[in-house]
Amino acid sequence: MQVFVAQLINGLSLGSIYVLLVTGFNLLLLVAMIIHFSYPQVVVFSMYIIWVVLQLTGNNLFLGIAAGVVSSICLNLLSAPLFQKVMRKRGEVDINSTMVLSLGIGMIITDVLSHTFNKGLPVAFPDQLASVTPLLRVGLISVQVGQVWSLGVGFVAVSAIFLILYRTRPGRAFRAIAEDPNGARLVGIPILRTGLASYALSGVLGGVTAVLLAMVLGSASPGLGEQVAHKVLAVSIIAGLGNLAGGLVVGLALGVLEAIVQGYISGTWSNAIAFVILLIVILARPRGLFGSKL
Amino acid sequence: MPSDAREALLSVDHLSVSYGHVNAVKDVSLEVFPGEIVVLIGANGAGKTTLLESVLGINAPRSGSIVFAGRQIGGVAADHNVRAGLCLVPEGRGVFASMNVLDNLLLGAHNNMRNVQSSLRRVFEWFPILQKRRKQIARTLSGGERQMLAIGRALMSAPRLIMVDEPSLGLAPIVVNDILAILKKLNSEGYTILLSEQNANKALKCAHRGYVLETGSVALSGSAERLLTDPGVREAYLGA
Repeated sequence: MQVFVAQLINGLSLGSIYVLLVTGFNLLLLVAMIIHFSYPQVVVFSMYIIWVVLQLTGNNLFLGIAAGVVSSICLNLLSAPLFQKVMRKRGEVDINSTMVLSLGIGMIITDVLSHTFNKGLPVAFPDQLASVTPLLRVGLISVQVGQVWSLGVGFVAVSAIFLILYRTRPGRAFRAIAEDPNGARLVGIPILRTGLASYALSGVLGGVTAVLLAMVLGSASPGLGEQVAHKVLAVSIIAGLGNLAGGLVVGLALGVLEAIVQGYISGTWSNAIAFVILLIVILARPRGLFGSKL
Repeated sequence: MPSDAREALLSVDHLSVSYGHVNAVKDVSLEVFPGEIVVLIGANGAGKTTLLESVLGINAPRSGSIVFAGRQIGGVAADHNVRAGLCLVPEGRGVFASMNVLDNLLLGAHNNMRNVQSSLRRVFEWFPILQKRRKQIARTLSGGERQMLAIGRALMSAPRLIMVDEPSLGLAPIVVNDILAILKKLNSEGYTILLSEQNANKALKCAHRGYVLETGSVALSGSAERLLTDPGVREAYLGA
């Protein structure tokens, strides 16, 4: 029972990070109309920026976190013209070519990370950010500071996204483009400019996620982005591409599932099990558990 | 009867639009004067939708010019034109089915949020049913209600010219009469309307002037009365 509770806490905190990532991925998919497969790699790049700034400033947490968020927004906005160029050249939105571009961006990031920072070795975040002393310990159950933050911030950030989508003018335009891009154009919604806002918004989400990942994992490696990217894509497909509420449920569920597998079987099986579930869902419900919104 | 002394609100001059190698609109010239209802008559594929969407700024013209309210707008993006007072009620209504009535209306005001509350009040005066259903998802509305929602959404943008693409499409004849009556009433309150229709008889009866489009070009134009009695029009579009 104690193992179960401990792994449930681990799973939910990891799951809320998946939820943030899949929400950013889905926003880009729905509003910017791109498959940004490598979005998690951009997030891991921001983790490295946090690490560098912490090194340079003698572990100034405020500057480190700010640099992480700002770099994530900038990287997203910088990639926007590339994606929009690919889309405009084809005349129509060609979502497949955006996936190839995203894949390229991911490879470049992985290569840059493995050649430039810390000789390609994993980087460890200082205790100020990734504290290992638990807040609370009862038997086998221990709660880390990072876990509390990732659950809390995850909840606040996802609520904020839903508020923006359902209560604001840009959010309304986001939903209109997501439902019917041509119809949105006919009512006079500027597609490219509104798309750009979604790059910025998923940049904010990515920056927040980079900070939380640093807190929860305590380290980052060049290959981390790719590992996470596969899972985020899987979560999005299992839930139904573009389904934000579905991503919320499936993201948390995957986190918990992985933690339970880790607690009772072995951590090395968690990936395989996640993708076996993906295969079953694709065969049984090709549009995902909650239905695709594309 | 409009005279050339008055300045046209919209004037399309020798406009051609093509998709790849297909010339959808060929050398079309037309004018809409303030206070008019002008109808574009034509069969399916005659180029009505392409023409209206080109005026809105969706397709760039291959040649020719579009002048709206004294400004060249050929090649100007749709969101700019909507801000300048153009709007389109799309073919098949184009309401956002998964969003509620209020959100659909507010989307119409996306480029003009300043007087949103008073615009909403006015739309609800025109269409009390929309106020009653404002929290309802658009998918659950009837065809006629959706058409009202699409027209109401157009009014939210504070338009100077309302373009309505085939409003009768897929509606019961009695509902078509209601919609055309609403357009006529909007016109009598000062809105200028450019309407496209296959249903030539009903449309001409509420319009001032008309243009007949055939395979992308203007085949005939004139006052509504003249077109209604024109033997060619009667044979091709009025089933006489």
